[in-house]
Amino acid sequence: MSFLAPLYLALGAFIAVPLIIHLMRRRVGSRVDFPATRYLARAEKEHSRSLRMRNLLLMFLRVLALIAIAAAAARPVASWVGAGHAPTAIAIVVDNSLSSSVVVDGRPLLDQFKTMARSVVNASTSADRIWLVTIDGKVQGGSAATLRDDINRLEPVAGSGDPAAALARAAGLVRASGLNARQIALVTDGQRTEWQRVPPIVGVQLMLYAPSTKPPLNHAVTLADARPVRWTPRGAVATRFLSRDSTSYRITLNGRTFARGTAAPNEEVIVRAAPPERGWVPGTVELEPDELAGDNVRHFAVWIGPAPGVAISPAAGSFVKNAVDVLRTTERVTDGKDIAIVPGDELSTMPALILAPVDPVKLGAANRALERAGVPWRFGAKHTGEATVRGAGLDGVTSTIRYDLVAQAGAVAETLAVVGRDAWIVAGGRYVLVGSPITPDATNLPIRAGFIPWLGDVLTTRLVGEPGQVISAAPGEQLPRPRWADGSESSDGQRTPLGETLEAPTRSGVLFLTRSGRRVGAVVVNPPPEESMLERFTPDELRDHIQSERTLVAATPSSWATMAFRAAARRSLLEPALIAALVLLTLEALAIGARSSRAA
Amino acid sequence: MELARGVGHRADLFDPASLAALGRIEIVARWIVDGFMSGLHRSARKGFSVEFADYRPYQPGDDLRYIDWKIAARADRWVVRQYEEETNLRASVVLDVSRSMAWSGAQMRVGQDATAADRLTKLAYAERLTAALALLLLRQRDAVGLVRFDDKIRSAVAPRARKGQWRRVIAALEEPGTGKASSAPDALEQAARLINRRGMIVLISDLLMDQPEVERAMRALRAGGHDITVLHVMDPAERELPSSGEALFVDPESELMVPASIADVRAAYRNTVEEVIGEWRSMFGSLGVGYEVISTDAPFGVPLRRAFAARQQLP
Repeated sequence: MSFLAPLYLALGAFIAVPLIIHLMRRRVGSRVDFPATRYLARAEKEHSRSLRMRNLLLMFLRVLALIAIAAAAARPVASWVGAGHAPTAIAIVVDNSLSSSVVVDGRPLLDQFKTMARSVVNASTSADRIWLVTIDGKVQGGSAATLRDDINRLEPVAGSGDPAAALARAAGLVRASGLNARQIALVTDGQRTEWQRVPPIVGVQLMLYAPSTKPPLNHAVTLADARPVRWTPRGAVATRFLSRDSTSYRITLNGRTFARGTAAPNEEVIVRAAPPERGWVPGTVELEPDELAGDNVRHFAVWIGPAPGVAISPAAGSFVKNAVDVLRTTERVTDGKDIAIVPGDELSTMPALILAPVDPVKLGAANRALERAGVPWRFGAKHTGEATVRGAGLDGVTSTIRYDLVAQAGAVAETLAVVGRDAWIVAGGRYVLVGSPITPDATNLPIRAGFIPWLGDVLTTRLVGEPGQVISAAPGEQLPRPRWADGSESSDGQRTPLGETLEAPTRSGVLFLTRSGRRVGAVVVNPPPEESMLERFTPDELRDHIQSERTLVAATPSSWATMAFRAAARRSLLEPALIAALVLLTLEALAIGARSSRAA
Repeated sequence: MELARGVGHRADLFDPASLAALGRIEIVARWIVDGFMSGLHRSARKGFSVEFADYRPYQPGDDLRYIDWKIAARADRWVVRQYEEETNLRASVVLDVSRSMAWSGAQMRVGQDATAADRLTKLAYAERLTAALALLLLRQRDAVGLVRFDDKIRSAVAPRARKGQWRRVIAALEEPGTGKASSAPDALEQAARLINRRGMIVLISDLLMDQPEVERAMRALRAGGHDITVLHVMDPAERELPSSGEALFVDPESELMVPASIADVRAAYRNTVEEVIGEWRSMFGSLGVGYEVISTDAPFGVPLRRAFAARQQLP
């Protein structure tokens, strides 16, 4: 038996009142002269036994009545023997996040969770409503047999899922069931990083099981990035590992190992390479398998190709020339005519990085050249004075002399930087247009540290490379459809047209994005690095963290199963307690009445 | 005034408290006796001894049967034959004036008993009864004495039938008393000594005393040939406790204290009182002692009739 409002049990302290009255009653009352006191003493002596019994009876009736009233106020609930359970809505939330795949005692933890979930399903009746909710928020409903099959098929997801959404969906399901008995049966490993933010659960009883044992030690790849995303063909892979000791790793490209090494814990490792592969290729950083295999491999994608040839107009300025020279020495660009860097008035070939002319007199020629090249933008009014530029990779850049970039009808372009509300750098399919000359008197861009990386990205990614890019995503994440892709290509070569949205694969890996059948980018799916941290909440900590109104914590898997349907098996004892109090008070009144009538 | 008119008829049947409020003890006693006498049937018993001693002039009120008609015929004067003794009985009233007698139910202050407020104390009731009984006996030419006692004998009036005896009895009733105990055996022995020969003893007491001692004294008196009547005076509140209340009950004489809830013990107390009365009745009955329980709310005529009946059974 338990109490829904146990504080009211303090009312039980009032049982002291009849006890005190009983003990003190022989010491209260006024003093009365009474000559026949000897008769009174004799009467008490001769009838002391019956008097004592009657007083004790009254005392016990009053004490029991007070206990019954206090118990009723505390709203007792208890299981009624043989009563079974009332129809119950129960949502079984199974934490099948990546961390649940950790192997404990020779079997994955998720297998234990599945066994527990099946035991709850087996205990259900046809009158119950029961759902299976996985940690990624997916819901399975139906008959017990269907759910058993769903549980058997349950696999760990590649990430941490969304525990808050899963619990919220489970609570919504049982609340909408229309049944009075509502339960959420949650089985989880209690991973600290996973259960950080959980909304309170209202109006539903939560039965919770989380292992109280410590998780095994885990090592994982927590970082695997191609830097830059486009290798020409030289590039690097940045990686980092979660481990307690030095860890041996392997890096592959398109299934071919191109690097091996040993890294210290949590140290970022940069591995440079100039591989022979070309185009978009997948890569991995791998560790030796341990108890949690899902985070021993981390995926990345990279575009590999030749460095573009760049032709620079002398009118572009010395700062641009010097920057290109640096890129050339690092083999990111070469001399050639693949890309032109010119002021607008000298524009004749595409693709091109088009700068505003230094001399305003040449604006008309520049606009005519833009028109001839099919660039839907024109240079407009001139602005002077220092103004802050906002754009990716352009922190701290200011503009002193600039021209409005005026869009023409049908202009479709990406704005890369703005000054105030005005576009300052725009990019189209084969051009990047800058609203200022790249000279120190017009902008501080060429003297900023980020200028060379920005220029390298413009030349190797925007102007020569495919228009695509790498998108990092969590398993199963819903993404907006990239405009530069119209299909996808899975690792096994299966091609699928894109819809309005793009759902990331539920398993770790690389999904290539295609345009007209050619790879133009990739979605790289990896588990969140936090998922590799297996530290757990204790069951009690987790209970406090979830903040449910009524939470039952199971110490063992078997006790968790027996808790199921307890909300329905436990009936309120409020009415019986009130009836008992009423009966006791009636008996007390009858006892007093009988005594009074005998006395009369 | 209605009561005054009533008193003129049968004062012995009136409420004792109301009657006592109308006058001094001797006045009230006269009313009681007058009322009682008017209600009596003439007794067949003569009451006078037959040993002739002298004549005396007739006085109104003398029994006409004792007028010497021969002298009346010869000398034309009415004389009454006077015998060796004018009295044919020596009686003594033994009155308990201990502290327990100076109590009425009005002093309880627990429960609710509206009638107790105007009730006479047991002593006041017993004193008026004693005065009335003495007057009644004296009017029968009996010699009447009085012994008042508490823890010792407070006053003793030897039995006499002469004029002024009743005044002495009344004066003795006004002497102090209300000691802390009741020593009835000494008083009964003293009364027997004062009677000096076989006689009648009327014990008026609440009998809150040890029964064995009383029994021994009674046995001795009975062995001496005395006729004894015991009038057991009780306040109604002593027979029936109030309906409710809780108090520390204290015996004013022995200081015995008993805390009790009246509701708890009321029935048991009632049974105990009946048992005690039964024990007294049984004991007195075995000794040939007359015994009557007198409630202080009963008209004085009730105990008076009981005592008079006892007297009438004597020669």
